Amino acid sequence: MQLDLKIGSRPRTLAILTLVIMAIFVVRLFYLQIVQHDYYVTQANKEQLKQLIIPAKRGEIYAMDAGSPVKLVLNETVYTAFADPKVVEKPQEMIDLIHKVAGGNARQNLDALLLKKESRYQILATKVTRTQAELMKKSHLKGLGFQQETQRVYPEGQLAAQTLGFVDGEGKGRYGIEQELNKRLTGSDGLLQSVTDVSNVPLTIGNNNINKTAKNGDNVVLTVDRNIQAYSERALAEGLKRSKASDGSVMVMDPQSGKVLAMANLPTYNPAEYNKVQNAAAFNNGTVSAPYEPGSDVKTLTMATGLDKGVVEPNSTYKNTDSIKVEDRTITNATKGQTGTITFQHALNYSLNTGFVTVAQRLGDGNNITRGARDTMYDYFHNKFGLGQLTGIEVAGEVPGTVIPPTDIDGGAVRYSNMAFGQGLDVTMVQVCAAFGTIVNGGTYYTPTVLAGTMSDDGESFVSAVAKPAKQNVIAPTASSKVRAMIHEARTAFYAAQDRKGYYVGGKTGTSQTIENGKYVDNQTVGTYLGFGGDSEATPRYVIMVQVSGKGMNLAGNTDALPIFTDISNWMLDYLKLQPKG
Amino acid sequence: MSYQRTTQFSSRRAGTWNRNQNTVAFASNVKLGPVTHTVLVALMITVLGLIYLTQATRATGYDYEAQKIDSKIADLTTKKTDLEVENARLTALDTVQNSSVAREMTKPAQTDYVNE
Repeated sequence: MQLDLKIGSRPRTLAILTLVIMAIFVVRLFYLQIVQHDYYVTQANKEQLKQLIIPAKRGEIYAMDAGSPVKLVLNETVYTAFADPKVVEKPQEMIDLIHKVAGGNARQNLDALLLKKESRYQILATKVTRTQAELMKKSHLKGLGFQQETQRVYPEGQLAAQTLGFVDGEGKGRYGIEQELNKRLTGSDGLLQSVTDVSNVPLTIGNNNINKTAKNGDNVVLTVDRNIQAYSERALAEGLKRSKASDGSVMVMDPQSGKVLAMANLPTYNPAEYNKVQNAAAFNNGTVSAPYEPGSDVKTLTMATGLDKGVVEPNSTYKNTDSIKVEDRTITNATKGQTGTITFQHALNYSLNTGFVTVAQRLGDGNNITRGARDTMYDYFHNKFGLGQLTGIEVAGEVPGTVIPPTDIDGGAVRYSNMAFGQGLDVTMVQVCAAFGTIVNGGTYYTPTVLAGTMSDDGESFVSAVAKPAKQNVIAPTASSKVRAMIHEARTAFYAAQDRKGYYVGGKTGTSQTIENGKYVDNQTVGTYLGFGGDSEATPRYVIMVQVSGKGMNLAGNTDALPIFTDISNWMLDYLKLQPKG
Repeated sequence: MSYQRTTQFSSRRAGTWNRNQNTVAFASNVKLGPVTHTVLVALMITVLGLIYLTQATRATGYDYEAQKIDSKIADLTTKKTDLEVENARLTALDTVQNSSVAREMTKPAQTDYVNE
């Protein structure tokens, strides 16, 4: 077809005009679709493409219950009920409903909140359960909305609060396991990127859709046994009440594995109401974060060192004059009168400082705590027993304490003579427990742990944690056997009647002076007791350490800490189903 | 519509035809012009486009179904979690110790051990 339009004719003009308009369209479309392509794609994506975060579920925390994991910390979905005062039509009806359904979770002065018409968001009730929220939704009140959130739930209340820690308002773990294992517990959020409709329903159309599933946090299983933990907390509370002491800690450990069975601390708090705590000290786990001078408990470690090095035997003797001179200092016994030539067993029974300074001297040339003796003591205390260094236990806030090395200007003979009976060093209870476990279990140092493993999301499959490295032959099995017998003898010499017959229990008292403003004070001592128990001489089944203290209080190991140990120890024998021998 | 017979014949030997095969061909009297072709092509494209749109809409319909199911799963998961929390509260040590069953329990007067 050939169009032959005359020049100047109307059809020709119309055709040219049409072509020009079409050309404008083409140019404009070229500009919009080719030149401005990226810009408009971005604009379209902004409108149509939505990114939805798929929140990862925070891992739950389990404790043991006689060998089976039980939930100690769970997640619960709760709702915040809010109103848009500008669109609320029946304020009184809404107030009545909130009071009736939410009860104590309702805010005060609801009528005043709903009168704030300039505001578009007023919280009427918090921590509303799903059932309560559904009841409120049924009323179909205009202007009432709900915001979903997740909170931690603690069915056991205050149990093991300092070991667990809590999750703050921003979802971060604070203190305890929650802080130490925050990354593992948090998991990683997923992402859903998709074209959505006006109701934000994701649609499968589009080429830029992303569907990355959330990775839930690990469900961790603790070695802590909730029954031992509960009993320890109760025994500690009763013990503090008897002594009128304000602070106390108990640690129960399995010396054959380093697994912590209980960590009790008082005063305590409820992790669900962490924001109500007045004194932040209640958040600290005293067993790992409060270094102190351990006192006479350390005499068992000094004795183990001497036995392992072969410089003393339980029945070796020394001459006790109730005082001993080290360089320009004179060290005296707290218990006087056991003078004469006595055995080291006798010195342990009566907790005589002179006996253990003598052990330190025998690690040297026999009369002096030489550099060699100090090196040996440091090697055992610090390197082998782990005193003065982090144990790596999975609880936040662990501090290393201090054991001054012989190379330090302060690491002289006087310092090490003090260290031989538990002064002049700062350690934590978990360090002492792990060291004590080593000397009574045959000589293997097990790294203390509170982590037993992980649990699958459906709560059906438990995977044990990889065992932490252990140091074998820290002391010889024979030395361990001897020191175990000495500790048993030290307890039975005075407190045999308190233990149940047929079991093998040992322990050592400790009464430590405290330092204030760099000086020892006379009116404040910390009482401790450190012991083990079981159904056989060869295999202790538990190590228990008790510490009690109070501002301006003189508390002693034998009167204030020992009864708590005895209470827990006798209960443990039943709980572990141990049969008496003989 | 009528058909007319072709007027040209060719020898069977010269051709490629075989015995008993129909050698009669019919030609339609209806002729389609370029405009008709264009319209038909446009119609076909439109029909194909409609088919595409129908399928795309159907897929979107599945999205709404999937969304409903997802919501239901989320709701049931929340209910399950609530029940787990309730279960944990009911089996908590304090709850058990304060239960009527526990209150009725007494300490044994004597304990005997059996050697296995």
